[in-house]
Amino acid sequence: MSSDFEAYEQDFGTITAEITNKVGRIPKLSGEEKTQLVLNVDKQLEEVRELLEQMDLEVREIPVQSRAMYNSRLKSYKQEMEKLEKDFKRSRIAYSDEVRNELLGDDAGSSENQLIKLREERAHLLDNTEKLERSSRRLEAGYQIAVETEQVGQEILANLHSDREKIQRARERLRETDANLGKSSRILTGMLRRIIQNRILVFVLGAIIVLTIILAIYFNLRGH
Amino acid sequence: MDNSGKEKEATALMAEAEKKMKSSQSFFGALFGVWYWCELCMHLTSFASLFNQSHLFFHSGGSKMEEACDMYVRAANMYKMAKNWCAAGNAFSQAARLHLQMQSKHDAATNFIDAGNAFKKADPQEAINCLNRAIEIYTDMGRFTIAAKHHITIAEIYETELVDIDKAVAHYEQAADYYKGEESTSSANKCLLKVATYAAQLEQYPKAIEIYEQVGTHAMDSTLLKYSAKDHFFKAALCHFCVDAHNAQLAVQKYEEMFPAFSDSRECKLLKKLLDAHEEQNVDAYTDSVKEFDTISRLDQWLTTMLLRIKKTIQDDESDLR
Repeated sequence: MSSDFEAYEQDFGTITAEITNKVGRIPKLSGEEKTQLVLNVDKQLEEVRELLEQMDLEVREIPVQSRAMYNSRLKSYKQEMEKLEKDFKRSRIAYSDEVRNELLGDDAGSSENQLIKLREERAHLLDNTEKLERSSRRLEAGYQIAVETEQVGQEILANLHSDREKIQRARERLRETDANLGKSSRILTGMLRRIIQNRILVFVLGAIIVLTIILAIYFNLRGH
Repeated sequence: MDNSGKEKEATALMAEAEKKMKSSQSFFGALFGVWYWCELCMHLTSFASLFNQSHLFFHSGGSKMEEACDMYVRAANMYKMAKNWCAAGNAFSQAARLHLQMQSKHDAATNFIDAGNAFKKADPQEAINCLNRAIEIYTDMGRFTIAAKHHITIAEIYETELVDIDKAVAHYEQAADYYKGEESTSSANKCLLKVATYAAQLEQYPKAIEIYEQVGTHAMDSTLLKYSAKDHFFKAALCHFCVDAHNAQLAVQKYEEMFPAFSDSRECKLLKKLLDAHEEQNVDAYTDSVKEFDTISRLDQWLTTMLLRIKKTIQDDESDLR
């Protein structure tokens, strides 16, 4: 009897080891292999359940004194089987990276990929921040130059304004001078005319005097 | 350059001219002086021609004086070439006095100005004297614009060489008045601005405020000047601030009403920040906003002085409260 029980125990041990192994492999596989493995594990779980039933019957046939030990062992085996079943169920609905990779493209070593991707994204973002900083610095420099240009423009405008007034004044003065020159030229022509008149008068008077002298001499000589 | 030769020639000319003034024949003296420098033969011929002319002319004392004037001016030019500014200035003043005697005011004034320019490089005080006499003649004749221009020159000499700010300010004011009389407001404004900067530095705030407001309102209307208007209002508000922060607030509001574009300017924003910092007695906020403004457009020396004064008032208030 007990040797049967031990034989059953050994079988139980081997089958549970196999089941654990396969359950570990299930999440990593997919598709055809997965279904096959799932069927395998199902069959093995059935075998384990049958084994446990037989162990139960055996234990009942054992005399009462040594039953306790076998009972406790049986209980632990049952608990192990339940645990295996739970693992099996979980593994079937486990979400694994394999599935994700199949969806998004296939490569092996998913966690390393994630690290690499994170590092790349980080470098990319740093690049972007640097570009932003550079452009904002350039904008500020441009603004500074614009402000300086405005100041230069202000000065130039003020200078232009004062030059404008100077030119206007100069033009006024020029017009005055022009008028004065016209007046002076008129005065000069008047003077010239008077001079000519005087000279003509002088000549005429001189001629008359000469004539009178000649007449006087003539009459004197005639009188003799 | 035969500068030393020119100098000696110039001294010879001056001696010549003096003798001419005394109306004595100095034929032989001139020849004697000239004999020693061969390169002056052409001058000899010119002397000779002058003498011939003087014999030919029905000359009165007048033409002799004119010649003397002329020789003084030439001598002065030669001194200028030789860089002997004092002697050049003296020669020009002599020429000017002769012109005054001959009643040609205009020439006299021009010669005084030349004398002033020559003295500027050597003896500023003497230069100012000559320029003052020239200004008297010009104001007599009624040429206020030129007089104003020379007031500015004098004021500049006081600013730079003699460093007498009060007299400089007085001359600038005088110049501004003359310019206003001649209806050239923009030149007048230029002088007034200088007056205002010095007044603010000397803590005569009401005067400075008045000038800045006046110039600002005038600038607002002109198309060319309106871009400088905000600058003037900014300075006026700063002066108000030095006196009393509440005044400054009222002033800023008034300027905004008068001139809407003022509120957009960075200066106005800076003013508001400074007013807030003053109310809160927060020196750090004040310093930060000033630094921010400085990064974009540098603060010049006047602005730095005024802002520093205002900052000190904040710090004093703080220490008083404590």
